[in-house]
Amino acid sequence: MTDPILVADAIDVRFGDFQALSGFSLSVQSGTIHALIGPNGAGKTTLFNALTGVRKPSGGSIVFDGHTVTRTSAHRRVHYGMSRSFQVTALFAALTVAENLRLAVQARYAAEGWVFWRSPDRRRDIRDEVDALLADTFLTDRADTRTGDLSHGGQRSLEIGMALAGRPKLIFLDEPLAGMGIDDVHRTKGLISSLRRRMAVLLIEHNMSVVLDISDRITVMAAGRKIAEDVPAKIRTDAAVRTAYLGSTA
Amino acid sequence: MSTQLLLFQVLNGVGIGMIYFLLSVGLTLIFGLMRFVNFAHGAFYLAAAYIAYAVVLWTGSFWWALLLGPAFVAILALAIERLLLRHTYSLPHEAQILITFAVALFIQEVVILLFTPLGHNVPVPAALSGVLFLGPYVYPAYRLAVVGAAVLVAIVLWIAIERTKMGSILRAGSESAEMVSLLGINVDRVFMATFALGAALAGFAGVLVAPLRGVEPFMSAEALGIAFVVVVVGGLGTLSGALVGGILIGLVQSIMSTLWPEGAQLMIYAAMALVILVRPTGLLGRI
Amino acid sequence: MRATKRLPNLATAIVLAALVVLPFIVPATLASQIAIFATGALSVAILLGAVGLLSFGQGLYLGIGAYVCGILVRDAGMGLLSALLMATLSGAVLAGLLGSVIVRRHGVYFVMLTLAFAQMGYFAVLAFKGVTGGENGLSGLPRQFDLLGLSIADPLSMYGFMAGAFFLVFLLVQRVIASPFGSVLAAIRENESRSEALGYPVSRYKTAAVALAGAIAGLAGGLHVIFLGFVPPSDIELEMSQRLLVIALIGGIGSPGGALVGSAFYTIVSETLSEIWPRWLALIALLLIGLVLFLPGGLWSVGRRISALFERNTTHD
Repeated sequence: MTDPILVADAIDVRFGDFQALSGFSLSVQSGTIHALIGPNGAGKTTLFNALTGVRKPSGGSIVFDGHTVTRTSAHRRVHYGMSRSFQVTALFAALTVAENLRLAVQARYAAEGWVFWRSPDRRRDIRDEVDALLADTFLTDRADTRTGDLSHGGQRSLEIGMALAGRPKLIFLDEPLAGMGIDDVHRTKGLISSLRRRMAVLLIEHNMSVVLDISDRITVMAAGRKIAEDVPAKIRTDAAVRTAYLGSTA
Repeated sequence: MSTQLLLFQVLNGVGIGMIYFLLSVGLTLIFGLMRFVNFAHGAFYLAAAYIAYAVVLWTGSFWWALLLGPAFVAILALAIERLLLRHTYSLPHEAQILITFAVALFIQEVVILLFTPLGHNVPVPAALSGVLFLGPYVYPAYRLAVVGAAVLVAIVLWIAIERTKMGSILRAGSESAEMVSLLGINVDRVFMATFALGAALAGFAGVLVAPLRGVEPFMSAEALGIAFVVVVVGGLGTLSGALVGGILIGLVQSIMSTLWPEGAQLMIYAAMALVILVRPTGLLGRI
Repeated sequence: MRATKRLPNLATAIVLAALVVLPFIVPATLASQIAIFATGALSVAILLGAVGLLSFGQGLYLGIGAYVCGILVRDAGMGLLSALLMATLSGAVLAGLLGSVIVRRHGVYFVMLTLAFAQMGYFAVLAFKGVTGGENGLSGLPRQFDLLGLSIADPLSMYGFMAGAFFLVFLLVQRVIASPFGSVLAAIRENESRSEALGYPVSRYKTAAVALAGAIAGLAGGLHVIFLGFVPPSDIELEMSQRLLVIALIGGIGSPGGALVGSAFYTIVSETLSEIWPRWLALIALLLIGLVLFLPGGLWSVGRRISALFERNTTHD
């Protein structure tokens, strides 16, 4: 068995007196889809923030692809191979869909962002990548739309596209399907499922049927702690999970 | 430097510091609640100082000036908040900065229009025109009175903020204005009152300092600069920040004026630069 | 600032035409001042328009550029272009140094610090009056300058030089805005945390932008000294920072051409009104309030709205 791409060990995150995460440990294998589920307030997004460098943990360690990144800045972690989508859509609303993606792709070519003497359009390779991403996320026909004018489902798809542009080794998807219509959900589920060929996926999602369908492994959180972790079939019948959810979605 | 000189300089520095506190506290209060920096702060200081000059000239009474200066400026602030600022709260914070900057420019020009660009002296009130002897040093009584007034203001404000209902609204509002409005409190009115209070405090400082330095139209820029340094050093948004920042800057100025008089002003700003390098949020700041 | 796809474009043509026509409308000396302050205003506009950083302290770098240029020309006998290059570099270096400290501060803190550092510059000039001449400024500079053997002493040649300098900076700013670097600045302006999440080292980009703006202001300072023949301490006073900001806002920060429009407006108004009514700045203040509330794009955006009207009338969907 290969080494896991991500190992988080005993993560603590405290907001003043409030303990958002307690001694949380997680490991994610390459080429798998690992889901994080749990009731609201369980600390899922906080965990994402700690793992991606948006919030430094008060305790524990994070090792990604052999690098210790516990206190590394967010933008450095991107260069190590992490990429994330956001729960609350945080796109460049005034820019077009294509420009959003182009910026995401451009970020990977660290030197390109410092070029100030010619137009960005000269880079054929970046344009081609953007076209591929547009196709992946079914946004080709809306490439020149102002992102703020996009439908909610379109914005969620673009979020995933932005995260994919980083060609990450591990992609963090925070409720990618939230508020999507049934067709979008179906297509996006296919997209996420296909990702396991190229990377590892860590997924927060409330849509239980999708989670149970595409995940290789599920971790259940409540009140900042891990209460269960196993393959979908076992999680489905776990008593502790039932209790934590109390009126769970299906 | 002899210990006596050092002691005097320290006391003098604390005194200057309290005056700087008085100059800055209005700015920090407005920021604490309304989350923007009032670039017209120096202009309110200026306007009140000139009102003091005019009132003393016409009535001979400094006490009237002390009342009318801050009152006028508070009313001016209310008008500005209602007519102009209110429309900018949904805009990015640059809009408030630019509007208050434009207001400051306007006020400065009006002052020059009414009073000419030349500076004027404002006589010290007769009751406080004596001197005190501290060892071999002569200390003007009025200056001591101003320091005393500053201390009084600090105490009153502290009590008002920490112990009264209005104060707790202010404190809650600085955490979350949204929450306060959800509790049924009219946030608009709280904003208006805070802006007026901040202006009044700036005005109060302007009137008090007028007999010490005289009045001239460009003192608004200088006052704004000092206020900025004080709140950057002490931490923006808190009373204690303005106090700590003010005293520290006052000490720097006092000590520097004996060691390197030409560089005293520069050292104030250098001290600020040092503080932000070491502690970017200011000594007591939270943001 | 909005990037345009094809350069040179209509804005370039308008600016060039305006620069050519200017000395026929106003006296050449006034036209030189317009060009100089347009250059200075560009340093404000590029920070605010491209990155979203409001600076009340570009006058500091203009002042540094002015003093460096003045000292090098007078005491080191440096030639015109080298002195201007040093002025530009000094602006860039100082801005880079100060910028690296203050770009990590957000929102109002950044703005306050720019003002505080501007004040600091002024007091430094007073404190070291042995070098800077204190309140008297620096005099004793040569009044004749040669550009590659040609004298630029007469007002029209002087203007030609100043206009040329502005135009070059204008082209540079246009190019930078429409480049990958400019696109990153735009991203930071639109959504800083997203930019960071994508992997851009935001602080480094902001510092670079601040340094670029400092360079432009430093150049403007050097140009001012060449024009005046001495170094006035007012170049580093807070009023200069405010003037550049006002000019940038009046002209509009959405496009680099706004700096020229704003400078022309401000300079001409100040020249004509100051004879009639010395307190004309009060009107500028009112204009500013109006702009912030009703026309944030400045005067340049009026032009754009008019042209947008034409487009709507000629093309039908």
